[in-house]
Amino acid sequence: MNEYVITVNHKKKQVKVLSQNQIEINGEIINVSLQKISNNLISFIYGNKVYEIALNKNESEYTRFLIDGWHIDAVARTKLEETAFELQKNISASKHHAEVKAPMPGLILKIKKKIGEKVELGEPLLILEAMKMENDIHSPSSGIIKEIRCKEGESVEKNSIIIIIE
Amino acid sequence: MIKRILIANRGEIAHRIIKACRELNITSIAIYSEADKNSLHVRRADEAYLIGPPPANESYLNKEKIIELAKKVKADAIHPGYGFLSENYEFIELVEKSGIIFIGPSSASVKLMGGKTEARTLMKQNNVPIVPGTTEPISNIEEGKKIAKEIGYPIMLKAVSGGGGKGMRKVFSQQEFENAFNLATSESKKAFGNSEVYIEKYIENPKHIEVQILADKHGNYLHLFERECSVQRRHQKVIEEAPSITINENIRKKITQTAIQAAKACNYYNAGTIEFLLDKNKNFYFLEMNTRLQVEHPVTEMITGFDIVKEQIKIAEGKELSIKQEDLNIFGHAIECRIYAEDVENNFSPSTGKITLHRLTSGPGIRIERGIDVSSDVPIYYDPMLAKVIAWGSNREEAIARMKRALSEYQICGVITNIPFYKWILSQEEFLDGSFDINFIENKFIPLIPNKWKENLPEEYEEVIASLSALLKEEKKNNSASYNKSKKSSWRNLLYE
Repeated sequence: MNEYVITVNHKKKQVKVLSQNQIEINGEIINVSLQKISNNLISFIYGNKVYEIALNKNESEYTRFLIDGWHIDAVARTKLEETAFELQKNISASKHHAEVKAPMPGLILKIKKKIGEKVELGEPLLILEAMKMENDIHSPSSGIIKEIRCKEGESVEKNSIIIIIE
Repeated sequence: MIKRILIANRGEIAHRIIKACRELNITSIAIYSEADKNSLHVRRADEAYLIGPPPANESYLNKEKIIELAKKVKADAIHPGYGFLSENYEFIELVEKSGIIFIGPSSASVKLMGGKTEARTLMKQNNVPIVPGTTEPISNIEEGKKIAKEIGYPIMLKAVSGGGGKGMRKVFSQQEFENAFNLATSESKKAFGNSEVYIEKYIENPKHIEVQILADKHGNYLHLFERECSVQRRHQKVIEEAPSITINENIRKKITQTAIQAAKACNYYNAGTIEFLLDKNKNFYFLEMNTRLQVEHPVTEMITGFDIVKEQIKIAEGKELSIKQEDLNIFGHAIECRIYAEDVENNFSPSTGKITLHRLTSGPGIRIERGIDVSSDVPIYYDPMLAKVIAWGSNREEAIARMKRALSEYQICGVITNIPFYKWILSQEEFLDGSFDINFIENKFIPLIPNKWKENLPEEYEEVIASLSALLKEEKKNNSASYNKSKKSSWRNLLYE
């Protein structure tokens, strides 16, 4: 028997996998059946309810599922992995060092801050243009701008580090 | 006779025009940028030609190159679709001079309606009501303040060459005027290369109603009723429907006749749309004219049973309108949702990538117009619209129910789409009872970002996904365990045998 901690839409749920066709969630045992239709499409029977669920996109460690037209984000960890994750999270929080990454490929239109400037959590740092749209990129934490790794007019790849805040 | 049409566009609208060509036995000629080599519009066309590198100004906006190509491949006509060069009168002038037929209005009509203040002046002269305000650009702050006071606050400052919500500022009081004026002029200078702005009275909580018109080159005009597009975000339409549930037969008669007056004022031919704002007292005011085919034309096609794109081609050929006003009726109700590759929760940021799963929806009353297919790339260079879902029903309730059903069935993977956003809108009280106005999304949805708007999801969905995630994780673990085991055993085999 294996126990997992699933973070689903930012809430944590514990799931025990009893067998291929049986799980336990919220203290309730439920019969399930999982059938893969293709790489990212699953026919899933939960109790007596039938769902067609698609795997929309993997965003870092999260998987975004499609169910009935809705998006649900989930990440599955074993109990051990979950403990390690929580530990890691506490360490990085105490280090107080944040990297601002490009959430999508695009063109740096404007950088609103200079090195050494103080920023607040959620403050707009720069404008990234992608697909004809101007997107504000906000600060993930409060602190001082330590490094700016791009110039206005430059294009950046997805997930490349643009700014470091300390 | 038009036998060969070059389509100066991409995505779903290019695909839509290809369908019309095929039905009329016309050869469709697609153009594509290097980023669109494998696009659906290229694969569905009869012929396709590379036009240039991915950035739009080097490909889909390259006027000279497109016309040169059209001549070289002996196209009889060019269809511009919407966006890109469709409302660029200089491009249309070049096409006219080249001897190729432009499927759309004359460059003169487009030029007349393109300048906001010129269009307002023309409409005023032709008894089309305009939003109270100036028909001339404001020359200085003092003059502006004086006029604003006369009209009464709140007012809007709008860019003369504007569009898409840029160079626009709402001003509540005399104190705010100077700062807003400076912002609006510098923004419009930057966006349109022209800093001129004019003043309009701010209409509180209006509805957006527009009228589809058709006219031939023989002076015949008709309308295909109205569409309501009041669900908007940042002045971009989100949901369009026809007919409007806000207006009655009496206003319908007035607004459609006014639209025809507006079209006649600029000697219009081909398909066009007159946009109006409707205030709380059901007074309507001319907003602007879209001198092209519109994104939302399918809802009108669904309620009238009339193919607008095919008619555009016939009009361009010089034929008379193929129908009469009295033969047109509203039949049922239609709604359109624009499916974008964007992450609603992440401030509507665009999502790029490769489509890994594309399961279409179908069934009673459902129509899809799409630019994507399985394994299509969604590049950063263009508008992130993937497809449009159009639902028709014998009444509004049925159209909405069918749309909700279709959106649950339509599965797109590889990029994040805004389908859940529509699932939310379609269950809101204000949307269902018709009390929404153009500020609905701003007031009701934006405050619920990122997570709150999903609070009414059935709780079971989270349990289902949690269970599925656990099972998939277990499977992955077992697979890698058996993989390691088999690796080990073969290694042992090598060592010991």
